[in-house]
Amino acid sequence: MDFELTDEQQLIRDAVREFAETEVTPIAAELDRDHRFPYELMPKLAEMNLMGMPYPEKEGGAGADYVSYVIAVEEISRACASTGIIVSAHTSLATWPIFKFGTEAQKDRYLADMASGRRLGAFALTEPGAGTDAAAGTATATLHADGYALNGSKMFITNAPYADVYVVFAKTDPERGARGMSAFIVEKDTPGFSVGEAEHKLGIRGSSTPPVYFADCRIPKEALLGGEGDGFKIAMQTLDGGRIGVSAQALGIAQAALDASIAYAKERVQFGKPIANLQAIQWMIADMALEVDAARLLVYRAASCVDNGRPYSTEGAMAKLFASEAATRVAGKAIQIHGGYGYTESYPVERNYRDAKITELYEGTSEVQRMVIARSALR
Amino acid sequence: MRIVLAYKWTCDPEEATVRADGTVDWSRAKPGLSAYDPVAIELARQCADAVGAELIGVTAGDAGVAAPIAAKAALGRGLDRVVIVEDGSLADAGRSELAAVLAEAIRHIGDVDLVVTGDSSVDVAAKMVPTVLAGELGWPAVAEVTSITGQAGALRVERAIPGGVQVLEISGPAVLAAAADAAAPRVPGMKDLLAAAKKPVELLELAALKISPPDAVMTVTGRARPERKARAGQLIDTADPAKAAAELVTALRQAGAL
Repeated sequence: MDFELTDEQQLIRDAVREFAETEVTPIAAELDRDHRFPYELMPKLAEMNLMGMPYPEKEGGAGADYVSYVIAVEEISRACASTGIIVSAHTSLATWPIFKFGTEAQKDRYLADMASGRRLGAFALTEPGAGTDAAAGTATATLHADGYALNGSKMFITNAPYADVYVVFAKTDPERGARGMSAFIVEKDTPGFSVGEAEHKLGIRGSSTPPVYFADCRIPKEALLGGEGDGFKIAMQTLDGGRIGVSAQALGIAQAALDASIAYAKERVQFGKPIANLQAIQWMIADMALEVDAARLLVYRAASCVDNGRPYSTEGAMAKLFASEAATRVAGKAIQIHGGYGYTESYPVERNYRDAKITELYEGTSEVQRMVIARSALR
Repeated sequence: MRIVLAYKWTCDPEEATVRADGTVDWSRAKPGLSAYDPVAIELARQCADAVGAELIGVTAGDAGVAAPIAAKAALGRGLDRVVIVEDGSLADAGRSELAAVLAEAIRHIGDVDLVVTGDSSVDVAAKMVPTVLAGELGWPAVAEVTSITGQAGALRVERAIPGGVQVLEISGPAVLAAAADAAAPRVPGMKDLLAAAKKPVELLELAALKISPPDAVMTVTGRARPERKARAGQLIDTADPAKAAAELVTALRQAGAL
């Protein structure tokens, strides 16, 4: 068993860390404070080939392995969890289903632009009444002579309204439930498509997640991704990969909270000595370091499964469940170590704490991950 | 035109610790490109791109310098290929020996029009290698270089000098040490890093290079930490800046510091 990163993975980690510390960290607090999408980072991320890392170069991607991709999401999220999920949602949720299920014509039209970062993607599955129970969605796609008409609404759509391409799930046969769901590619300027007001969130405030609406939104038949009725399968398989991206985001948040805590514990003097000398602090640091390392092993293991062509649904669920809950615990301890200062915006750990919570919720709640894991264990 | 970039693979002293006997423990320091070398690579890359030159990295050292990750790290920053001289004896090589080895590697490459180096190495920071290397090659050496333009045999070089900029025209080959802030080094993109493994790496045996033994050998015979001096702890307690300055000058004179 080899726990060492390859040369390329180490160099990618160092380069993304350097990029994140130079370009992302300086604006992270402001993005959070102002609920502002980091549009100025999009061309820089594209120039660094960070918007399509696991896709082949001939498809516009960087041609990196999946472990390298999650390392990149981790390092970006360490600086700014909002930017981390923008990259992850674009790469894992929007680009992947087109790469995996798209026709040659669809790939020609979208893939190179998305994998190179020229066009930003979004994934529209969740509805006001259909979150964990995604099959209960009520958005419809009605077949007409010249294509489909989409009607309904979606919510919590990461990257809207900045995204150019949306992978949208709607019922082509509502009577058949999950089997009546289909996936479509919708371009942002399509008549009948609109974006609602931004949500005001607890954390990841630099990531935009408004609702999107479809009112007799006409799209061509060629916009169907996969076959009619394949939508639920496409959504679930896409989320299997997306969860690994979220687990990497959670890992980055946890690492940031640990880093900040170690630095603070060494410089904060109480009772005449740095608080790092106090056993109460040391034990918290030890537990945090342990959780971060365990999370990293699970996250990299799940990504390694993708690289090796092995099933990764359960491994991805384990990585996401553990890393997300660990991130919340680690960030909570980070505030405890910082004391009253940790509760203020003077230090980044309060942002880490707020950002961590979402990783337990989106792309499958912790409860869904436990369902996936239990189903596998009891099979 | 052929440009050589001399770089160093070494450890950051900020990650090293000093033992009680004054020796340095590098065991926990992570190796990497010397801090100012990416600046030099960027400056040389800009020059190479402008004239369509080949940019060749050259380095020398012990086993670590030939590790695949070391070559990939340098190549990923924008070098076209690298030539590496690896030998265990180079671990403790002095500046003169290192410069002699680099000079011979540059002669081995042949037809080199220009050598660019970083401002200094992050570990030793002696700033000697560019000058000694130029001496070995019989070429002029220029330090604090901020801009390189022109063609082989007709280079226009700008260097920072106190209070201004000196502009030089160089008609032949030269060794130029980039100023520490000569260019903003680019963070390598993912494709650059992944493509690095496909670029040529030439390993040279030290024994195969015809290096003259140095005329004089410098050996480190001892290390000592400066003794800590007790602090005076003298507080100047006044809100009047002029009075505070006068008291400070008096105190410094009394202490023999002025």
